[in-house]
Amino acid sequence: MTLLRNLSGTLKAALVAGCLLAGSGTAWAGSCCGGGSNTALMVPKYAKAVADLSFDYENYHGFWNQNGRHTSDPPGADLNQYRLNLGGAYRFFEDWQVSLIIPYLWNDNTYSGVSSQTSGLGDTTLSVWYDLLDDTSPWRVHTARDLVPAVSIGLSLLLPTGYSPYDDLKSSFDVTGRGFYRLDGNLYIEKMIRHWDLSLAASYGTYFERSVNREYGKYVEPYHKDLGDRTFLSASLGYGFLLGTGGDTLTTTASYAYLDEADVSYNGQRDPNSGFMKQSVGGMLSFAGTDRDWSVRAGWNHAIRESGWGRNFPTTDIFTVGVRYVFR
Amino acid sequence: MCFARLGMILLLCVALAGCGDNLVPSGTDQRPPVQSGSTGPGVGQNAADFSVSEISGTTVTRASALSGKKAIVLYFTMWCPSCDEQTAQLQTMIPSYPDVGFYLVDYVSGSVTDAAAAALANGFTGVGFGILADTGHQMQNSLQGTMGTTVVIDAAGVILLNEDFRNGSRLQAALAGLP
Repeated sequence: MTLLRNLSGTLKAALVAGCLLAGSGTAWAGSCCGGGSNTALMVPKYAKAVADLSFDYENYHGFWNQNGRHTSDPPGADLNQYRLNLGGAYRFFEDWQVSLIIPYLWNDNTYSGVSSQTSGLGDTTLSVWYDLLDDTSPWRVHTARDLVPAVSIGLSLLLPTGYSPYDDLKSSFDVTGRGFYRLDGNLYIEKMIRHWDLSLAASYGTYFERSVNREYGKYVEPYHKDLGDRTFLSASLGYGFLLGTGGDTLTTTASYAYLDEADVSYNGQRDPNSGFMKQSVGGMLSFAGTDRDWSVRAGWNHAIRESGWGRNFPTTDIFTVGVRYVFR
Repeated sequence: MCFARLGMILLLCVALAGCGDNLVPSGTDQRPPVQSGSTGPGVGQNAADFSVSEISGTTVTRASALSGKKAIVLYFTMWCPSCDEQTAQLQTMIPSYPDVGFYLVDYVSGSVTDAAAAALANGFTGVGFGILADTGHQMQNSLQGTMGTTVVIDAAGVILLNEDFRNGSRLQAALAGLP
């Protein structure tokens, strides 16, 4: 029985390390469309805090146009963004936690023979989460009650700390942020049964309208701009393998993500067809040692480069490596 | 756990200290005053002359573009998703303004050949636009153009509009106001 509990604890910790980021994180990027942050970093129930460092490499491969038709970049185009994400989360009450993710971005682009390299802070995400339900039986299922998942709800505030088109920039290649505050309502559901972990994440966000008096460093007649509401959904399924007899765990996770943003408006007037949509799939490998405090991970997120899988958005591949430490 | 709390507060402070002007957006009109008759990118100024190659190889100057036209519209594109969407909107305006020349300014391609390939790949060749390869960044620099910048220059060479395309309504208004 003790062995069973230990196995349960080890697997739970490893699956949490492996699945939370894979399921809930979506990379926001794009030299032309803003740079960004992952959206969620959560403290496991047994821990007090988490520190997380990850590095993303995002490579662009064309875009979907407003009709959903995929268009490749011209020959010779090589658009890349690198992001170093520094994150921390702290459980300040048993069921409450707060997290902060700050990205630093490097844009490295060659487009039709012209190169540009820029860097800067991205947009910062500040979140607070409340654990509504706990998954109390991740190892055995005897009754219907044992099927109850962990459910967390939260709020995230995106702070426009990056460089946006409304800053003193010369070019769209210099952009590292959206330039808008956004408030998201988040829902996270997760159920672990034995080696398996299923998680669902959903968020709905609304941007705060802002004044604009400058576009890429050029002062213009002031106006009000508002970005459309944002919907994000993802599902992920993970499986944890125990390695040897020491309790080390390797977790594999597959995920699907859907992102949609409604049309932009100017002075209250909507710009039809300016919204976007993106669908992507991902995979992640995560390794957690026996002590469950450290974990490392490597992942890949792939936007499907076929017509109909997105609209008005770049298609990219995102490769991520990360390391995380859990404070008890 | 003091360390974790302090760390997060420190992180937030670093982020807030290092950011641009977006935390407190300004709606104040800070456009510099424009001297009539001067040359520059501002509304009311004369547009600087340019001489660039169209993707067909023809050289286009400010004078030749304006010849026989009430105005020209220059749209700066890097063939991105929003550029594509705005170009499609722009395309719908062309039939309504036969006396206006519409040009896409490719300011990112390094050669006329690259610009032609990009235009072809995005389906915007032969649909009513002249496509200019601003390989020397003459127009980008003189008009402070970047992704989505839309410029209207009247027959006298005076700039009537120079701003982001947004939803196209201000461009429509500028074109509707032409004599």
